[in-house]
Amino acid sequence: MGVAVPAAALILWEICSRLGIVSSRYFPAPTTVAWTLGDRLVAGDLGGDLLVTLTRLAFAFALAAVPAVLLGLLMGIARPVRDLVEPYLAFIFPVPKITLLPFLMIILGVGEPAFVLTGASSAFFQIVISTLAGVQTMDPRLLEVGRNYGAHGPRLFWKVILPAALPAIFTGLRLGLGLALVTLVAVEFIAAKSGLGHLVYRHWQMLSTPEMYAAFALVGGLGLVLTRGLRALQARVLTWQEDIGV
Amino acid sequence: MKAVGRWLAEHWITIGSPIVLLYVWEWASASGLLRAAFFPRPSTIVDHLRDLAVDGTLWGHAATTLVRIGWSFSLAAILGVAIGLAMGLWRRLREGLDPVFAVIYPIPSVLFLPLVSFLVPPGEIALVVTASVTSFFLIAFTTTHGVRQIDRLVVEAARHYGATGWRLFAAVLLPGALPFIFTGLRLGLGFALIVVVAVEIVSASRGLGALLWLSWQVLKVEDMYATFFVIALLGALLSYGLAALRARLLPWVPDAGDR
Repeated sequence: MGVAVPAAALILWEICSRLGIVSSRYFPAPTTVAWTLGDRLVAGDLGGDLLVTLTRLAFAFALAAVPAVLLGLLMGIARPVRDLVEPYLAFIFPVPKITLLPFLMIILGVGEPAFVLTGASSAFFQIVISTLAGVQTMDPRLLEVGRNYGAHGPRLFWKVILPAALPAIFTGLRLGLGLALVTLVAVEFIAAKSGLGHLVYRHWQMLSTPEMYAAFALVGGLGLVLTRGLRALQARVLTWQEDIGV
Repeated sequence: MKAVGRWLAEHWITIGSPIVLLYVWEWASASGLLRAAFFPRPSTIVDHLRDLAVDGTLWGHAATTLVRIGWSFSLAAILGVAIGLAMGLWRRLREGLDPVFAVIYPIPSVLFLPLVSFLVPPGEIALVVTASVTSFFLIAFTTTHGVRQIDRLVVEAARHYGATGWRLFAAVLLPGALPFIFTGLRLGLGFALIVVVAVEIVSASRGLGALLWLSWQVLKVEDMYATFFVIALLGALLSYGLAALRARLLPWVPDAGDR
């Protein structure tokens, strides 16, 4: 049942496209797209641009994750830091991060640092907020038990607070990675001259639709692998707590 | 008066830090420590914001963006709640659509613009449909989850007392799923703003996203900051306003999607 509906939709599309019921110029048959995908992934631009997007994603995520988790933890345990940072967090978090791109481009110039930092910013805020929520929503009884048994300072942090916040941190990292991918692909679509997002844009402009759909499918596949893969990893590594992330 | 004093004593850092930051920024930019070409003084930004507001440019663009958000959110909300409810109620439908949704959902909405522009007339309609894609999935997901998490015991009890069909749906299932539906709508509205602005940056000549992008292209840096401020204000209004509304309308349950 799980694969029946997608398979039926693809077959219907194939038939409609082959018989000319829908314009094959705009909606090329799935087999044509698949063939293009396989062909260009090895020999052509698809593989290279996939690599470009993945590299940007890796840099953006690495740049965001470490400072975001540290800041989130610090905000969770030190009230003054939370008071200090919260207004900026509340101001920036609901803003579409893509709007930071033009600012970064005038400050850093049009290029990789601006693209990567825009992606990183969308992950950063999500991870800070999830980490902070993890510390704030931990069961206060755990803290008291820890204190009663003589844990305080660094010991309390390492043995009680951090393990309690870990599931939320992981959820934040997972959501952050997804957001970074979304933002990066949008940045590529808008401003960059390489990457999967740019491929979709270029092939749209040139109306080379099989390549456009192939790049589109690649983005979907990448997103699926990242979200599903991380979810599975989270379920495996943090078996003791249920994932509450949306 | 005493309450105000206590409130200030508790929140002075939160209130004070943005004020201090703005003053430092103003001073650093005026004295040349920060390059005014990149970081114009906040007071100049406010001047530009006022100019944009007075000559009506800002309101025109803001109204365009708001109308687009309204349309794409409505589209996403109606379809998302309807399909989400149907998926929550019928297992076969859920199992059939789940894999399709799983593949499409992580794709950034902006990428749907080419696809959508093949399907519907390009321009305004394509923009609105594109902007509703991500919100639709979010709302459909949370609604489905909302129906599925209803306590089996409650449904059994309702059946036992003779509630079936429409009654069961309207008196038990819908109220049970409502908190989740609301969470989905709140998240969906936030995403509608994000995607509308992103699509405006890509393809529109009007709207706040377009204003930001055009200001960048002609390097009107002050206008960029002013537009950014308005977009941020809109985002805050939508997300915190809706959270407050939920607390009022559905006070009996905590927000399922609270961060």
